[in-house]
Amino acid sequence: MTDTLSDADLVARLAHLPVDRDTAEHYRGYLRHELVLNRCADCGRWHQPMRPMCPSCWSWNVVPTPVSGRGTVHLFIALHQGPPADGVDYSQGPHPVVTVELEEQPALRFTSTIVDCALDDIHIGMPVELAWIERSGAPYPVFRPAGLTDGEGR
Amino acid sequence: MARNPVKDQVAIVGIGCTGFSRHDTRTPLALGLEAATKAIRDAGLTAKDIDGIVALGEPGAPGPHQFASALGVDTITHWTRPAPVVMFSLVDAVNAIYAGSADTVLVVSAMIRLPWNSRSAANDPFRRSVPSSMAAIPESVAMATGYTAWASRYLYEYGVTREAWARIAVNGRTNSLRNPLAAIDKPLTLDDYYEARMIRDPLCMLDMDLPADGADAFVLTSAERAKSLPHTPVLVHATATGMVGENTEDQLVSLQRHGQHVVVEQLKAKGDFWIDEVDVFYPYDGFTIITTGWIENTGYCAPGKAGEFLREHWVEDENRVMIDGKVPINTHGGGLSEGATRGTGHIREAVTQLRGEAGERQVDGARTALVTPGGFFFNSQGALLRSAD
Repeated sequence: MTDTLSDADLVARLAHLPVDRDTAEHYRGYLRHELVLNRCADCGRWHQPMRPMCPSCWSWNVVPTPVSGRGTVHLFIALHQGPPADGVDYSQGPHPVVTVELEEQPALRFTSTIVDCALDDIHIGMPVELAWIERSGAPYPVFRPAGLTDGEGR
Repeated sequence: MARNPVKDQVAIVGIGCTGFSRHDTRTPLALGLEAATKAIRDAGLTAKDIDGIVALGEPGAPGPHQFASALGVDTITHWTRPAPVVMFSLVDAVNAIYAGSADTVLVVSAMIRLPWNSRSAANDPFRRSVPSSMAAIPESVAMATGYTAWASRYLYEYGVTREAWARIAVNGRTNSLRNPLAAIDKPLTLDDYYEARMIRDPLCMLDMDLPADGADAFVLTSAERAKSLPHTPVLVHATATGMVGENTEDQLVSLQRHGQHVVVEQLKAKGDFWIDEVDVFYPYDGFTIITTGWIENTGYCAPGKAGEFLREHWVEDENRVMIDGKVPINTHGGGLSEGATRGTGHIREAVTQLRGEAGERQVDGARTALVTPGGFFFNSQGALLRSAD
């Protein structure tokens, strides 16, 4: 269903995100709760951010492909102030931002926030998994500590 | 094999600075013109001697054509607007002179506080409309947050505290107290650092360079022509810019291999001297994590050991660093305390020291400088400068 969403409708639905032609399939994945990154169909390498050509072998045959969303926190910031976003209130406490190294490939990373975890419990090296929240009326991929029981997160 | 045919062939012969302030209301054009006219006069030249203009491409700053018309120059044969952080501009000027595109080049950079990094600028009706270059969403590791994110990794990988960054901040402030060009003149202690407001944990207010208004300008010409000009020429001995392919902030492979390593390899291969023979050292301090990176990656100490190194070389009664009791770091206060300059302040102060004109900040007998502007990702840069004396 969402795959047939027109480019114009996608951009309108995700007006709060920097969607362009190279990244459209990544963001289209949000609407069906899939974290989609580019993988080269010729050499098999994943790369980030979304680019139209494989940096490893220069193939243009890159295919937007879902990742598991499992990985390990590699970088961690607590923003005491920052850009505004729906559901982010810096006055209620620092907003965590984590860069997660995904299990698919060493140094393949995705950056988002983390939920269902107290700020003091977030640490580099912790295993996490994908979860989804609603932001500005659309799904938004986030992480949560690995192994929580509820399948869909908060 | 690193070629360096331009070694010592081009000299910095003029410097001009407005000084830095958190209260100025002038435009980048006005600031840039003050610095440019000072630098050209300092070089003993006039507008008609300038045939090249390189204007740092800071957002909102005038382009080289605007400086050309505003300065009333006669004929320009080389002009560019390189991306910010100073060495892209200096390298271009050096190459242009050596290659014959121009004989005497003005490099000019103007910085102002902007609405997104200064409350007073946000209240200035003339500045309110300048667009922000900050990230659009919180979950972004780019620019400022890129350094913050890798700062978290630095603490984790080396199992260290924020001590090194505290000492960098205090060292800069102490040095700025003797610099009349600096925007801030309030002393700072290590305790003050630890009490400072967190902005993006693990970096606080005092880990970021100080938004300020000001401009720097430089005049460069051939080493041959420099001999007939009033000041001791400062020779550009070696320069480097460097990055690795995977330089996107959150995809950088590791702290052990990035632009700083490329720059250091280049400078060591191109130059005739290195840190054992460097008299004054100017590592960039847009963020303190950048400074500790430069201290470690240039070889003053091992990776992860900057905190220990700075403690060991700390002069308690001076409240600052003196490496082996003789080599100071950022004698002007750096971007942290003189004011954010994209590295022009580091270069200008190195030139001032190598000329022997730094007044009460003067390091006795300073003849060689290592300046390392820029961060990790896509603006790591360096220069070895030496006095022609």
